[in-house]
Amino acid sequence: MKQRIFLFAAILIVVLASRESAFANDKCLACHRIAEDKPSALFLHDIHYAKGITCAGCHGGNPNADEIEQAMDKKAGFIGVPKGNDISKACAACHSSSEKMKSFGSSLPTNQWEILQASVHAKLSLKGKEHIAQCVTCHNSHGIVSVKNPASPVYPLNVVKTCSRCHSDIMLMRSYNPSLPVDQFEKYMTSVHGKRNAKGDPKTAECASCHGSHDIRSAKDVKSKVYASNLPGTCAVCHSDTEYMKAYKIPTDQYKKYAKSVHGIALLQKHDAGAPACNSCHGNHGAAPPGVESVSKVCGTCHALNADLFSSSPHKKAFDQRKLPECETCHSNHEIIAATDQLLGVAPEAICSHCHNETQNVKGYRVAKKMRGLIDSLEAVEKRDQELVYEAEQKGMEISEAKFRLRDVRQARLQSRTTVHAFSEEKFTGIITNGLKISAFIVAESESAIREYYFRRIGLAIATLIITLVALFLFLFVRRLEKKQNK
Amino acid sequence: MNQIPEIPENKSKRDFLQWILAGGVTAFLGAVLYPIFAYLNPPKQAEVEVSSVKAGKLSEMEKESGKIVKFGTKPVILIRTANDEVRAFSATCTHLDCTVQFRKDFGMIWCACHNGKYDLNGRNISGPPPRPLDEFRVVVQGDEILISKKT
Amino acid sequence: MKKLLQRIYSWIDERVELQGLVEYMGKKYVPVHRHSIWYYFGGVSLFLFIIQVVTGILLLLYYKSGEELAFESINFIMSKVQFGWLIRSIHSWTANLFILSAMIHMFSVFFEKAYRKPREITWVTGMFMFFLALGFGFSGYLLPWNELAFFATKVGTDIAGVVPIIGKPLMIFLRGGDEVTGATLSRFFGFHVAVLPGLFTVFLSIHLLLVQRQGMSEPLDIKKETEQKTMPFFPNFILRDITLWLLVLNLLAILAVFFPWELGKKADAFASAPAGIKPEWYFLYMFQTLKYIPSKLWFLDGEVLGILLFGIAGLLWTMVPFWDRKSSRGEQNRFVNYLGLFAVLYIIIFTIIGWLV
Repeated sequence: MKQRIFLFAAILIVVLASRESAFANDKCLACHRIAEDKPSALFLHDIHYAKGITCAGCHGGNPNADEIEQAMDKKAGFIGVPKGNDISKACAACHSSSEKMKSFGSSLPTNQWEILQASVHAKLSLKGKEHIAQCVTCHNSHGIVSVKNPASPVYPLNVVKTCSRCHSDIMLMRSYNPSLPVDQFEKYMTSVHGKRNAKGDPKTAECASCHGSHDIRSAKDVKSKVYASNLPGTCAVCHSDTEYMKAYKIPTDQYKKYAKSVHGIALLQKHDAGAPACNSCHGNHGAAPPGVESVSKVCGTCHALNADLFSSSPHKKAFDQRKLPECETCHSNHEIIAATDQLLGVAPEAICSHCHNETQNVKGYRVAKKMRGLIDSLEAVEKRDQELVYEAEQKGMEISEAKFRLRDVRQARLQSRTTVHAFSEEKFTGIITNGLKISAFIVAESESAIREYYFRRIGLAIATLIITLVALFLFLFVRRLEKKQNK
Repeated sequence: MNQIPEIPENKSKRDFLQWILAGGVTAFLGAVLYPIFAYLNPPKQAEVEVSSVKAGKLSEMEKESGKIVKFGTKPVILIRTANDEVRAFSATCTHLDCTVQFRKDFGMIWCACHNGKYDLNGRNISGPPPRPLDEFRVVVQGDEILISKKT
Repeated sequence: MKKLLQRIYSWIDERVELQGLVEYMGKKYVPVHRHSIWYYFGGVSLFLFIIQVVTGILLLLYYKSGEELAFESINFIMSKVQFGWLIRSIHSWTANLFILSAMIHMFSVFFEKAYRKPREITWVTGMFMFFLALGFGFSGYLLPWNELAFFATKVGTDIAGVVPIIGKPLMIFLRGGDEVTGATLSRFFGFHVAVLPGLFTVFLSIHLLLVQRQGMSEPLDIKKETEQKTMPFFPNFILRDITLWLLVLNLLAILAVFFPWELGKKADAFASAPAGIKPEWYFLYMFQTLKYIPSKLWFLDGEVLGILLFGIAGLLWTMVPFWDRKSSRGEQNRFVNYLGLFAVLYIIIFTIIGWLV
């Protein structure tokens, strides 16, 4: 027995001695390694360890002291396990100082703590004393590696899991913001981005790609990367980068096209928050282009009338059978420009002529031709009515009723453009006929007013002529009379 | 000179001047009487229509109904809600100027052109309209509804 | 034709004895001299009054009194009724021309001193008719119930309220209440189509009867000449009168076609008064005078002073036949001439100033 104890002590001494020489400058680590606790085990893989930073580098204290009282002495700067914001402050002590970072040969940014303070994660936690998230929340405390290291929790392939730790925790999220969804992870896994990420593609988008890392703000915050008017730009960071997207073989001109579109101009230039951004049609976490059959439903969330008319029109079946994406086929997906009447009809620039001509799909050809003819005639009629009303007005005639009805003609024309989507000759003709009827009334009133104007002047001329003649003759009569009287 | 004057006879001259005078007087009378008789003939639209400033009688408006009324040259939608409030808004849709209507089934104001929807306070709640409808001042005097511009 | 007229004449004569009247009418003569031209203005005023009655009755057939429909009914007349535009514009233009013609008539009579004995009552009834004509203008102006009229009536009745003692009750009587409302419109309508016409007819009858009975007055200076040319009232003067009336009618038609009377905006009691409200030209000189009187003079309000001044001036003017003794005696009265000249110039100048301001 004595021999065993002796052997054990000898081994211990040898081990200790060897250990001591291995952790010559970091006595903290040396002891904690003997204790074999988790933090010290992790720390061996830590980049800070690799750079020669001791435990005291974050925890303070004296890393050269052998005895625990001196090593973990408050007077030597030991702060123990920092709690709350003190954790991040400890990180920031170096990471926010460019000199310190340069001295370790690092070109990392030094503004993370500053940015974090302005982010949504800097809001006070439930306890009310510290930020919701500290540096270590996402980066870990003791096994910190570079973001580019696949072992890092913030390596692209790991980010989603890291964020989900909190953001998929229903009870936790509810205690902060009950209206915030908690299904982002599930949705993400159904998306193209999520599927690729799961397969191991580090280039594809994950949480931080769109939301940022340290600068995460609420989506309602104007400065957020995912605020409505900022969102297209955020998607474009990857999707408009031809080099970056080379391997994926999808177009990279969507942003450019979108910026030219009605939706793009509305959102990006006019700041109309009601206009759709990329996520409105593609979804945000479950991002995927809408399927062929569902395009009209997606567009229909805003363009309800057109979508309904289309869905009950003969085009729905025809398009679905030919795998033609519904609204997109005529209106494009990203470069949606304001539809004009030129789109309708059988002329070469009209879109109907792509499928309908004199020999193919003839019925549609006839209907398209008729519809275009009708809408053109209504437009011409409306213009002419405006001119007539203007003329009557300028002549000073009372024409307010007809002028008021002009609105209805215009309304009929606008409604007919929506009705086109029913692709029904009967429905379309009905609306146009209504407009033409109102126009007929306007024309009748205006022409009558203009005729009245001329009638008055001609009538006056005639009356003046008569009166002048009668006055003249009367005068001559009186003169003659008086001549006779004076004889 | 204090005699009753006589109109002397001079057949030929008198005939010509008198005839032409008679003709002229007749034409003159015609030119005066024709407009008067035409005036007396009532026009097709026999009665004057109620204008926009007075928008009609409260007793003639059902609860949960709306109607379009002319305010000068602009259309105004007048609604009477279920809790008996009377409100008036510009009926020109803020999207592309179509005329909106009251939809009892939706319980809101609707634009037929592109499915724009406004709540009963004129606020745009769905669809393309970018702004709410301008509100007009409504005063109910007895049974009369008066609409005027909000200053 | 002549035989037919003869038979009608005989039929009436057998019952009413027209012979005496016809002889009397035949004996009427109108003096012919260099001032004769002024004789026509009485007739022109009468003609214009008749036009007002005829067009007024025609308008009555379509006008609807009352706040809700007054404005719209005039719009209706102007746009939907055949020749409604003509009738209404003639009525509005004639109102102005009638007052102008009455003023010319009055001033010419004044300068000719035709008011002297025995024609004092003719003058007084004429002055009453003039005041009634202003009342016609004021009441009629409100009837379209448009913006301008509403505020003009407000201002006008406000001024009436300034008259001492009786002013307030007078204002309430005119307005049918404290403010200008639909009640005012109803009253003014009643005044315009019933009360004023009735009163006017009485004075007009007396006026015309006197003129027929007394004949035309001759100017004082002309009377000195020995040779007095005359012309028979019937048919000469009458036919000349009618010729002039025809030309006046033509003028009215031209005005109605090329300068149609505006309707403007409907009155809105809740709206603020448009800038630069001023009354019609025939009130303008008084309105402008009031603006120049300082707001307080001695112990009197400026406005009250102004009203009193005009009241006294009007009274003196009406009573001129009674205090101008010289003219009654057949003598020249230079003072009256100067007074008249001052009045004319004052009115013209202040009307122009009021218009330009």
